[in-house]
Amino acid sequence: MAAFVAFAGLALVKSTPLIFAALAGVMCERSGILNIALEGALTVGAFAAVCVAFATGSPLLGLAAGVLAGALLCGVLGVAATRFGVDQIVAGTGLNLMAAGGTAFGIAVVFGVPGASPEVPALGARGEIALIVLAFACALGFQFALDRTPWGLRLRACGENPRAVASAGVDPRRVRLIATILGGALAGLGGVYLSLGELDLYSDGMTAGRGFIALAAVIFGRWTPLGATGAALAFGALSALQFILQRSGVPSELMQALPYLAALAALTGIVGRARAPKADGVSL
Amino acid sequence: MTVRREAVIGALALLVVASLAMVWAGTNPLNGFAALLHGSLGGYHQISETLVQTTALLFPSLAVAFAFRAGLFNIGAEGQLIAGGLCAGLVGASFIAPGPLAVVAILCAGALGGAFWGAIAGGLRARYGGNEVIATLMLNILAVLLANYLVSGPLHAPGSEGSETASLPHSSWLAVLAPETRLTIALPIALALAVFLKFVLTRTVFGYELRAAGVAPAAAVRAGIDLRRMALTAMTISGGIAGLGGATIVAGVLHRFNVALSPGYGFIAIAVALVGDLDPLWIILASFVFGILQVGSLAMQAFAHVPKDTVTFVEGLAILGLAARRFVAARAAAAA
Repeated sequence: MAAFVAFAGLALVKSTPLIFAALAGVMCERSGILNIALEGALTVGAFAAVCVAFATGSPLLGLAAGVLAGALLCGVLGVAATRFGVDQIVAGTGLNLMAAGGTAFGIAVVFGVPGASPEVPALGARGEIALIVLAFACALGFQFALDRTPWGLRLRACGENPRAVASAGVDPRRVRLIATILGGALAGLGGVYLSLGELDLYSDGMTAGRGFIALAAVIFGRWTPLGATGAALAFGALSALQFILQRSGVPSELMQALPYLAALAALTGIVGRARAPKADGVSL
Repeated sequence: MTVRREAVIGALALLVVASLAMVWAGTNPLNGFAALLHGSLGGYHQISETLVQTTALLFPSLAVAFAFRAGLFNIGAEGQLIAGGLCAGLVGASFIAPGPLAVVAILCAGALGGAFWGAIAGGLRARYGGNEVIATLMLNILAVLLANYLVSGPLHAPGSEGSETASLPHSSWLAVLAPETRLTIALPIALALAVFLKFVLTRTVFGYELRAAGVAPAAAVRAGIDLRRMALTAMTISGGIAGLGGATIVAGVLHRFNVALSPGYGFIAIAVALVGDLDPLWIILASFVFGILQVGSLAMQAFAHVPKDTVTFVEGLAILGLAARRFVAARAAAAA
């Protein structure tokens, strides 16, 4: 029993940043923006949170900074894609490189040593639990908003048929921009959880591809908030299982590969019908 | 605004950003750029090393451009390069044959490995309409995990500390072009490949169909081009090119497969391909410029104390700026 509780706890810890990032992915993709810069948003969120917590001594200000940084990074993607006709994938790739380069540069310049920051005032156990609860609250709230509010209807319509949205007098580019910024804020929160919730520092590469696992969770969760949350939980549980099975002879690479294999399988549609929003990734 | 003026303004903007970063890092930008240029072009060994990096970038950049021309986003050159390198390393370490034969076998193994990795994404797209962006992203990580598993477990070189296969026998190393350097015949192979791809794209029916599929898919379908088949073919060839690049790193530079064989060549390649305007011949020049950055950034870090990651940031910014280029051009045309 105690072992199970420890496992469940670890699974929750591993899932939470994935849930935030996966919700961000759902929000962007349902609006028609295929956001592959989620990895970058997690990175800058985690990094900015640590920098501000270090400078001010306040983890809450750090949290705010992380959310803002994620929103800003994805905001650039949103503006580029909706106002400058930039291809979303190309822009996302550029932003991921900028986030990786910028944070590595920042670590060296701000803290004087490359690689990792010193320990900073973090959110603590209570703050960590609050963020975990917040992740699930966001999932429920987002699912409700998507299904039952005018905003949700517009968001879904933008991802399926942006022209219809425009003919109804709503600017689909604006809807997409706002969705991307909100998504960035969510992903930033995922980054904050990594650096100030689970840990109390930033180190290079700490996001470790979670932004891409989140994209897999979006597909596996069939582009719905609760579905993606479920997929993120499953992927989090897999990575918790990895710690338990460390000495059992099951190759850890196989466990790590499962989310990505699941995403490829989901792309084939063999494991049930999964369809992306029709205008996902299509620029206006 | 002409394309040339636009390019100059873009390059200047990137130089300003890089300068600001250097100032922030506490270095006089002139010293920073001097270290970068001296470290990459300042002598025999510097230039040869820059050409080694040029070669390493040229293969995946050609791969990315080839797929882009077919309207496919291959952001999986990194994974294809690793898959190719892995196959090349395995064949190279186990296949005993006289020198030239072994070299050919290694390069073919690399191209096939990369082609297979690319074909998975192409096949998903062709058969199920699966998004090749997502597929190649996932395949990038899967390639690393597979390589990690194989070379730290079943295929690990006995007695080696790193995650790598056994060394290739000396006879199957690529021939060195300039004495006491790591510059091998991989460079002329890459250059010839670029010229060949330019020829294929512009002078053959297949190249025309491929470009048609990329530029005007609806028209291509009406002209009887099978888009699904084109997606599979283009991704397979693209992967093969990147895989061949991985093989040349294994047989020419490391002389074994190591999981750390690429510092992100496949991602930088996207910037290189865009800077080269997706034209194989311009990509040669772009690869050289990025080769300078690759080698020079290390010198800049060592001698001018500017973190080498500055270059990664500027490369990302270049991608973003180049992607916005079409918009700038269109607005200029409207204003004229």
